[in-house]
Amino acid sequence: MISKKITLLFLSVTLLFTSCNSDDDNNGNESLGDYENGIIVSNEGNFGQGNASITYTSDDLSIIENNVFSAVNGRALGDVAQSIAFNDDLAYIVLNVSNAIEIVNRYTFESVATIDTGLNNPRHIAFANGKGYVTNWGDGGVATDDYVAVIDATTNTMSSQSIAVEEGPEKIVANGNTVYVAHQGGYGQNNVISVINAATDVVSTTITVGDVPNSLRLDSDGDLWVLAGGTPSWTGSETGGKLSKIDSSDYSVTSIDFAGTEHPSFLALENGTLYYYLSGSVYKMDEDDTVLPTSAEITGLSFYGMEVKDNVLYGVDALDYTSNGMLLSYSLSSNEVTNFANTGIIPGGVYFN
Amino acid sequence: MIRIVLCLLLLCFYSVAKAQTSTDSIQRLDEVVLSDVKLKRYNQGYKLTVLNDSILRKNGNSLTDVLRFNSNIYFKENGYGMVSSASFRGTNASQTAVIWNGININSPLLGQVDFNTISSANYNSISIRSGGGSVQYGSGAIGGSVHLSNDSDFTKHINHRLQLGYGSYETENASYNLSFGNNKWSGSAGVSYINTENDYRILGTDEKNENGAFNNLDLNFNLGYVLSQKDVLKVYHQNFRSDRAFSSTLLAPSNSKYETEDYRSMLEWAHVSDNFTSSLKTVHLLEKFKYFENKDLNNYSEGQAETWLIKHHYKLNLSKQMALSVITDYSSITAEGNSYVDPKRCAFSATAIFNHQFSTRFRYNLNIRKDVISDFKSPLVFAGDLSYKVAESYMLKFNASKNFRVPTFNDLYWNPGGNLDLEPEESFQFDLGHQLEILKSLHLKLNTFYIETSDLIQWRPNTETNYWNPVNIANAKHYGLEVELGYIKKIKAHNFNLVTIYSYTETEDVEKNQPLYYVPLHKANIALSYNFKSFTAYYQHLFTGEVDIIGSSLNGYDVGNIGCSYELNKSGKLNYILDLKVNNIYNTYYENVALRPMPNRNFNIKLTLKF
Repeated sequence: MISKKITLLFLSVTLLFTSCNSDDDNNGNESLGDYENGIIVSNEGNFGQGNASITYTSDDLSIIENNVFSAVNGRALGDVAQSIAFNDDLAYIVLNVSNAIEIVNRYTFESVATIDTGLNNPRHIAFANGKGYVTNWGDGGVATDDYVAVIDATTNTMSSQSIAVEEGPEKIVANGNTVYVAHQGGYGQNNVISVINAATDVVSTTITVGDVPNSLRLDSDGDLWVLAGGTPSWTGSETGGKLSKIDSSDYSVTSIDFAGTEHPSFLALENGTLYYYLSGSVYKMDEDDTVLPTSAEITGLSFYGMEVKDNVLYGVDALDYTSNGMLLSYSLSSNEVTNFANTGIIPGGVYFN
Repeated sequence: MIRIVLCLLLLCFYSVAKAQTSTDSIQRLDEVVLSDVKLKRYNQGYKLTVLNDSILRKNGNSLTDVLRFNSNIYFKENGYGMVSSASFRGTNASQTAVIWNGININSPLLGQVDFNTISSANYNSISIRSGGGSVQYGSGAIGGSVHLSNDSDFTKHINHRLQLGYGSYETENASYNLSFGNNKWSGSAGVSYINTENDYRILGTDEKNENGAFNNLDLNFNLGYVLSQKDVLKVYHQNFRSDRAFSSTLLAPSNSKYETEDYRSMLEWAHVSDNFTSSLKTVHLLEKFKYFENKDLNNYSEGQAETWLIKHHYKLNLSKQMALSVITDYSSITAEGNSYVDPKRCAFSATAIFNHQFSTRFRYNLNIRKDVISDFKSPLVFAGDLSYKVAESYMLKFNASKNFRVPTFNDLYWNPGGNLDLEPEESFQFDLGHQLEILKSLHLKLNTFYIETSDLIQWRPNTETNYWNPVNIANAKHYGLEVELGYIKKIKAHNFNLVTIYSYTETEDVEKNQPLYYVPLHKANIALSYNFKSFTAYYQHLFTGEVDIIGSSLNGYDVGNIGCSYELNKSGKLNYILDLKVNNIYNTYYENVALRPMPNRNFNIKLTLKF
């Protein structure tokens, strides 16, 4: 662990020198904005402290800019940046404690609109049929007031109709007009996926998966992969994780169980390969595998979120949650750390621009 | 201020006088009627500041305001009237002990006291003891301790005081105090109420402080009865109820609220004899809270902690100059709540204090204490202090101590995360003080201190379990300087009184090699008052320097309050006093917790009737 830190420190010093002059050679073709091409990290910031922020880095992490939103717009972003989703040229930043969504141009980060009505504990957003679907816990302590808010994505206004759903809607993805909502359970635990028809904005069905579903991925066939973390031990009714595949044609479910004390998270998918995080390690498996891998690809990690792109693993480490965190990249060929960059406080989401 | 100086002078000479009349039981009874007698008797080497009635009445009934403007303590207030925690010499909120009539009332659940749930209206005096005090006052007395005292007065009297106030943001204040006594009985009762919309405008915007309304009710009742020339029985009771909305921040709306109830009761039997005194206290403390995430719904999480305590103090006079005290106490604490399974703690402690007046100039005290606590090991703590009168006007004071803070019930038992392997936080510290008094009109106190704390408990994420655990992880150092300068001037019937306080506090998080969050390097207060016959005017100023916060810093600020009062009827049985006060006269925008602006300029009018 210590030697890893020294390596990182060494890398940071060398990066510092190489990154200084990179800004200047960006004047090539017509640019859509300073933040085109590269990685966007949403930094949650501390609950109640209003120090959420956005970090931009180039794909190789050599160019780093923190506090992008406030630098561009001259004001603070908000309280707890939960997630970001893109729709055409816009990025929607969901601010959980502020009960707001900041809508910005994804390449310039200039503010376009702010939605601060109709949201209560918003978590994630996905787009279908010209509309944005935002999962909301409602009051965390109330199991019956959870909903998916609907935004008109052309006018960026909240529509008056919301969709009541089961407890704890969290991650959300859309495949055409089919919107899938994972019910992680909010402050409690849940185990279903709601399916919303974006043409009618009605929940057409719910599908039971493993306990506490924390990640959703669509594969090239349009089938949905769901990783459930299982119920944590402190509840007194611990269950292990479960990886499920939901067939988009008939919503039939095939699953692989983790051991009863294993709680995986952060499912990623690229070119038919699945990646997940479990107890400080990253594992990978083929979509077609019927058993879980027994050995990890990369170990000794402390991730708060991760993504995979072009055979590179990007993970965020929130460190002690009160200092600036880190974005690290690992080559999935060598499984070695390649670069890292300092982010804002509690980096949670990694997005590719 | 005159009274403070007099008090201090009295403290210095008290023991001398006492020794000469030790055979007189009535005098001895006088000693035990002081509710927190240890504070005055065994702490000559500590800096002690006593805030008396006239100071307490200048800042409404808010203990946070009283201390903010009249002491070195820095407060973090989550918006005006909301949860308020103290930072004493740069230590954290759970490292300041609050002592109610000699009993530590820091919450077993949180380890700290919310200073906005203490009304200053119903105490005769509030004292601030700087420096480590775990031996005498238990867990948490690391930065210092704040002492709330209800005194018994066995002189024949019956006094009423009624106060009615109204101010900006629809703030209504009312309080009533009754005090009576004769040679057998002594009693006091108090009711204090505040209700406010607290919707001050946020300077520089069109916004108001949203969801900030609160009301507090404090009830207080104390009774003393002289059983014999050697025995006194006393009863103390206090009940505080608050119903506070949790105000929004600049970036996060809120519709939450918080209700708390505190009940504190004590029965004390004091016995004095020729060569010993004994005091037996039985105490019951109960605190309850309800948190409503949405104040419009009857859906809340709750918790409570209940403490039973028996405390015995036996003091043996070994000679006219030497005394030995043995203090033993046994406490049983239980808690209930949504997030724990009925935790329970039993604790026993034994303390020995030796005090010696070596000569008229030199005195010292030695203290040692051991706690035996059911759910973890507690360290042996000790303290020593001395005072040396170098010259008639110059006193040197020194104290050194080892102190501790026990893990809270939340730290140990919260589900998920509670860690039963925690150990108490420890501190070692010392403090050197100089006290100078010139012609009774000028006094100067200069203190330098050093505090080292270790095994500080912090909640950290656990990547194995995916939830947070408290761990004994951090270490910190604090050192600094405090200066207090007081000046009294009387020109014919004109009285001037000035007190200035300044503190310089350096802190270091040893692990991160950076200053601790929310500790101002510089803080200064000025209190100036002028009195001419029935007219009094005063000015209070507070300067707080910049503080570091997570990832950023908060600007320093200057805030001033001005007020005047006029006694409309000074002679006769019924007195009425009219007070006018303007808070934040410069209309300063300031935050003492990030994103939580404090009130702009505001006004308060108050009528006091004494009869």
